Amino acid sequence: MNRRHFLLSASVLGLAALAPTLALSAGALAVLLPPWVTLPKEMTDTYKGGGLDIQTLGWDEIRTKIVTSMLANTAPASVTEMDWSWVGQFGSAGWYDPLDALLSDELKADLPTTSIFTYDGKLIGVPYNNDFRVLIYNAAHLTQAGVGVPKTPAELLDAARAVKAAKIADYPIALPLSASEGAATAWYLLTKAFGGDLFDADFKPLFTDPASAGYQAMAFEIAALNEGLIDPAATSLKDVEVQELFKAGKATFDVAGWAGNLAVYTDPAKSQVAADVAAALMPNVNGKSRTFGLPGALGIPANAENKEQAAGFIQWMLEPATMEANYRLLGNLPTRLSVLKTLNEAGNLKQGDVLIAQAEVVEPLFAQGTPGWYPEFSGAVATALNVAAKGQLTVDQAVAQIADAAAVAQE
Amino acid sequence: MALQIKLPRVGKDARLGLALALPVALIMGGLVFLPLLSTLFDSLFRIEPMKPGTPFVGLRNYSNLLKDSTVNAAWITTAIYVVLAVVIETVGGLAAALLLNRLRVGRRWLLAIVVLPWCLPPVVNAIIWMWIYNPSYGLLNGLLLGAGIIDTPQVWFNNRETGLLLISVVHAWRMMPLTVIILLAALQSIPAELYEAARLDGATALQRLRKITLPLIAPGLAIALSQSTVFAVNLFDEAWILNGASLDTRSVIIQVYVLAFQNMKFSGGMALSVLTMVVSLAVSLIYVLRVYRETRFE
Amino acid sequence: MTRRFKHLPGQIGLWLGVALLVLWSVGPVYWSFVTSITPPNALVSNSLHLWPEAATWQHYAKLFGANSTSQGNEVASVWPQFSRAFANSLITSLAATALVVIIAAFGAWAFVRLQFPGRDVLFVLVVATLAIPAYTVMIPLYRLMISLGLIDTYTGVTLIYVSAFLPLALWLMRSVYQAMPLSLEEAAWLDGASKLRAFVQVVLPLAGPGLVACGILTFLSAWGQFMVPLVFSPTLATKPLTVLIPEFVTRNYVDYGLMNAAGIVAIAPPLLLVMFLNRYLVSGLMAGAGK
Repeated sequence: MNRRHFLLSASVLGLAALAPTLALSAGALAVLLPPWVTLPKEMTDTYKGGGLDIQTLGWDEIRTKIVTSMLANTAPASVTEMDWSWVGQFGSAGWYDPLDALLSDELKADLPTTSIFTYDGKLIGVPYNNDFRVLIYNAAHLTQAGVGVPKTPAELLDAARAVKAAKIADYPIALPLSASEGAATAWYLLTKAFGGDLFDADFKPLFTDPASAGYQAMAFEIAALNEGLIDPAATSLKDVEVQELFKAGKATFDVAGWAGNLAVYTDPAKSQVAADVAAALMPNVNGKSRTFGLPGALGIPANAENKEQAAGFIQWMLEPATMEANYRLLGNLPTRLSVLKTLNEAGNLKQGDVLIAQAEVVEPLFAQGTPGWYPEFSGAVATALNVAAKGQLTVDQAVAQIADAAAVAQE
Repeated sequence: MALQIKLPRVGKDARLGLALALPVALIMGGLVFLPLLSTLFDSLFRIEPMKPGTPFVGLRNYSNLLKDSTVNAAWITTAIYVVLAVVIETVGGLAAALLLNRLRVGRRWLLAIVVLPWCLPPVVNAIIWMWIYNPSYGLLNGLLLGAGIIDTPQVWFNNRETGLLLISVVHAWRMMPLTVIILLAALQSIPAELYEAARLDGATALQRLRKITLPLIAPGLAIALSQSTVFAVNLFDEAWILNGASLDTRSVIIQVYVLAFQNMKFSGGMALSVLTMVVSLAVSLIYVLRVYRETRFE
Repeated sequence: MTRRFKHLPGQIGLWLGVALLVLWSVGPVYWSFVTSITPPNALVSNSLHLWPEAATWQHYAKLFGANSTSQGNEVASVWPQFSRAFANSLITSLAATALVVIIAAFGAWAFVRLQFPGRDVLFVLVVATLAIPAYTVMIPLYRLMISLGLIDTYTGVTLIYVSAFLPLALWLMRSVYQAMPLSLEEAAWLDGASKLRAFVQVVLPLAGPGLVACGILTFLSAWGQFMVPLVFSPTLATKPLTVLIPEFVTRNYVDYGLMNAAGIVAIAPPLLLVMFLNRYLVSGLMAGAGK
């Protein structure tokens, strides 16, 4: 009896679930965004372009979703998130529409990061969500140790040594060295801090010579690790985990700090050092700070429906009011310099002066636009850096291995 | 008598059989075999969205894989996962099933507890263990430090062997309940009289296990072994979430993902996934054949 | 040597084994629970607490509450998304379970007791699909689902689940039927019952525990699915919990507390199912075969 009852109810459930599901909001514009851009009603109410069907997916999953749908010849959505690191791949595959016509010259000048999303002379993504690297430090640690804010990599090391000597922090420098993207981007940033670039105009590696910035940057990381200035655990820590160390007051410098992270660091509910956090321009051997941007953009897939509506949505996302709300409600930093300045003048931007000064010198990681082989190259960098940090390769061997991988990825 | 009833109805039987197997054939054919054929077909072309055109390349995608040292390393890593996970799951699962089978009180509750890890979505499972293995705040370091087994916090994934073992443990932790359920179901089907008879004959517990239990649960064991092997060959979530794409712990399926979705060498990734399928098929076939041959005592 | 004396070490070993098994199975889940009631800034403290010094329900409040705070701002709670995803998980998993159990119950019996052309080939092929990695068929399947208009529908996701979990169920049910004596059915045939009727009336009730086992396996597998719904369930219309939970990783902050809380809630339905249906699983097989 019981068993029959179970089977019966099971079959009823099965039939009920197979009944056609009601189509949700037909005709609405499908937008695929990461979870931190889950636009609240307060914002979407100001969008007058029709219905919105906002789909969110976790960060790693967005890319999988886009690649799967594009390979199956369908658009994942009418507007999708585009990361700076996907530009070369998606651009060379011809998956996204050029959007140059969408921006006025005035708007283009207000968006310093558009060059990052230019592939083959065409703008395939419009940056709407800003992020770049900046030096974040624990001001209390520096005061206790009696040292100033470092302006060069050498001063950074000295300050870290002073903090360690004063037993304020065991491992003052927080840097990820696991085989992850965060470790690779930290090395790219330090390469700029040592006054150089990764590649020349023809994508020939510039980091194999011991005098080169890339070589010195890696040597800097390994030396700091061996000297005990970086936590030995860093070889298995990703960027977000290294940031936990900083939040717990165990590190003095978040060297490859994310501009957008200041909001989290200064939140007492999430950070034990909320009162002591400060930001400074990225140190540089030449005294003039350099950094690179990792903004998020919006793009329109080539096979999208509702392209006009999609363009309207992107324009709405760029309006100052939307950008301000995006920062105020969701913590997403504006890409337009004018909006950043307005926010700072109103006193709504934490460490705003530093952020704006740094935002003005943001460069793309690749002046020519992110190449299609970037993810493969970056994977190789993360792996080689991690192995070198574990002492299984010398810096010489590691940079040589990276150069080889770059050649393979480029062929 | 019985023969008379069975023989004349073959035609009708066949129709009934076909009707009942039709849903199986439709669903599996449409949703698995057709896509599979399509992938097999695609793997003979160069499908790389970053390069123009999709020329026919024959088996070159496959031959390229054989030459790729990263792919070969991933195969070795996967082989290690399979051995570790299958051993942990089978030994642990058999012990747990025997224990459950002997238990008279609270078996239902213990079984529910044992099944708990399998209830966890792999996504949640990996988050839990990531937190346990965390080098700075993790439970594992905390417990071992507290017990005096280690004196400094360990960075577990710095060492390849440790990393492989820890990932296998997470995988086995999640998959073992499946083995337990399958083996327990098999154990339950053994008539108690057999054990009674053996006990009267003076057989020890170990002899009873070897002579009665193992042969009689052999078909269940074959299912359990095959499924744990197949799942271990396809290990992805645990290694991916715990240690990302690190070469130290990169399984074959992670390599498929990296090739197809990260490096956008789609056809290469598909070819590797086809090879993975062939390998797990071959391995499970060996189990099934061996177990059936050894136990064909009727 | 008396019997009782001989059994004492066995009893101790038995209960030691039980304790070990409980610790192994529950320990990590317990730790996850502890994490879910620990305040965020205490998670990164130096000392290990097997029970938080100041327990908090704030992570659960974020899941169930009307609103909550994030990064100092008042934000909408995740409850509308969470409850919807929870329902989606439940619906697709239950539907897949029901279909798999029904199809396997009849299909496996046909594979065992009926002669029809292509029987063995079909069976071997179906079971062999257990070895196919999800990625292998992902993209063609996506193309197919698009052309059928089944993307982001319960039907689409459910059908894919069925195709993924049917092979194991068929295999399991086949061995259940094989273990049953043919004489049971023959008796019914002698009474004039057709083969199908004999099966439904005599065999099927006895196969209950096997079917329940299949049902549990399918439900749990479907409940934990990630890759399939990730691609085939893009919106909250059908998106399950497993795809929603990783979204709690915000760009600048991994909310371990919230993720663990969500994980704990996500375990509940399968756990209840197992506890409730265990009775059938344990008592069933023996009782069926004995009569």
